[in-house]
Amino acid sequence: MGSYEPKLVCFSCKFGWGYLNDEDALAKQIKNWVPIICSGKVDSSHILNAFRQGADGVLILGCRGGDCHYQDGNYEAKKRVYLLHKILESYGIEKERLRIELSIDPEGSRIPQLVKEMSDRIAKLGPVKKIGERAKTAAVV
Amino acid sequence: MADKPKVAITWLGGCGGCDETVVDMNEVLLRVANAVELVFWPIALDFKYHHIEPMRDGEIALSIINGNVRNSEQEEVAKLLRKKSQLVLAFGACACFGGTPGMANFRTKDDIFNWVYRDAPTVVNPKGNYPQPKSQVDGKELTLPKFYEQVFALNQVINVDYYLPGCPPPPYLVMNAISAVLDNKLPPKGSTLSPHRALCDTCPRNKTKPSRIALKDIKRIHEVEADPDSCFLTQGIICLGPATRTGCGESCISINIPCRGCFGPVEGVVDSGAKFVSALASIIDAEDDEEMKKVIDKIDDPAGYFYRFSLPVSLLRKKRF
Repeated sequence: MGSYEPKLVCFSCKFGWGYLNDEDALAKQIKNWVPIICSGKVDSSHILNAFRQGADGVLILGCRGGDCHYQDGNYEAKKRVYLLHKILESYGIEKERLRIELSIDPEGSRIPQLVKEMSDRIAKLGPVKKIGERAKTAAVV
Repeated sequence: MADKPKVAITWLGGCGGCDETVVDMNEVLLRVANAVELVFWPIALDFKYHHIEPMRDGEIALSIINGNVRNSEQEEVAKLLRKKSQLVLAFGACACFGGTPGMANFRTKDDIFNWVYRDAPTVVNPKGNYPQPKSQVDGKELTLPKFYEQVFALNQVINVDYYLPGCPPPPYLVMNAISAVLDNKLPPKGSTLSPHRALCDTCPRNKTKPSRIALKDIKRIHEVEADPDSCFLTQGIICLGPATRTGCGESCISINIPCRGCFGPVEGVVDSGAKFVSALASIIDAEDDEEMKKVIDKIDDPAGYFYRFSLPVSLLRKKRF
């Protein structure tokens, strides 16, 4: 158990995070990193799908409040995350596993750091619990 | 007589409402009964499983199956009919998505048994008897189907050829589906035999919707007197129209009840609840975090509301314990 490393997916907006840095170089430091254009583009189904595929946590990095290139994508993402916390808890997935941070970091050097911090917090929770009996599609032809 | 296509209708984990909608075809049903040979229909006709078992594989032209799969008997019947049928139609929300009983996936089997056989105020069970798959009575063994840990939609247990959602599906769609089978004019396998668009696209109240909805407050339908002509969402009443397939004939909307999602996701969408989360979040109008929380916290049981008919086929399927 000691070597447990949580699987984290990080979506970050290219307008606020790491745009001055080389994307490939950053990608080497961050596992499961998905740079996107606007945090508002991260649909609820992308987040739920990440958990479906075995993620232990999802981190969304959006632009600072009021700084969205598309007016209010970050604000939309924030409301979505708050509503999704309630949905996730109904599924038995702790809300701490989904986090949104609205800030700015052109160099992107804070991204690996934020991923590490969240990863450490999730490590304390352990992996997402599995669903029981024949939980995955039981398709038997 | 011998050439008439054989049709089977059955109910698994359902309430019988889907069978009722077949009966609601009225005189049309008599015409259908002339055109086909009904070989199985537990709610209406006295056929047994052993009438189906000796049939050749594929001998039944069409099996119309309503209800979800929650126990071993339902699974067995679903598999038997699949084997004997050329086509299987998942009929109604329970067969297509798990339906309302699928919300039991937020509980464990033990939770359900404890409530039903021990804790509910109307239960008198001094010996603490719980149903067992096998029990001995007077030297004889009695058996019951095994109750599974979760609810399955039909396509999680057998291959399904066509889907007809609704709680229940409206008679006109049932007639369309049956005529399509009889006339051999079926769409590609895997299709849902209902329009592909969202309910909002056909909703008569859509024209009352402003270009941008901004909600400061969310109410439940019984807490207000809803205006019978304007969009529910603009009134702050949760309506699943944006994320639900149309085809129901707006039957709830026309009696001033918001959509609850029984037609499931629109074409191409897996998780209608997730889509609704995105839709609803975007129309909540809040100046700051506090206000956002105040508005969202007022929604009672959002997961139960958004996944009322589709929990077993949602991306996350069931609660983790």
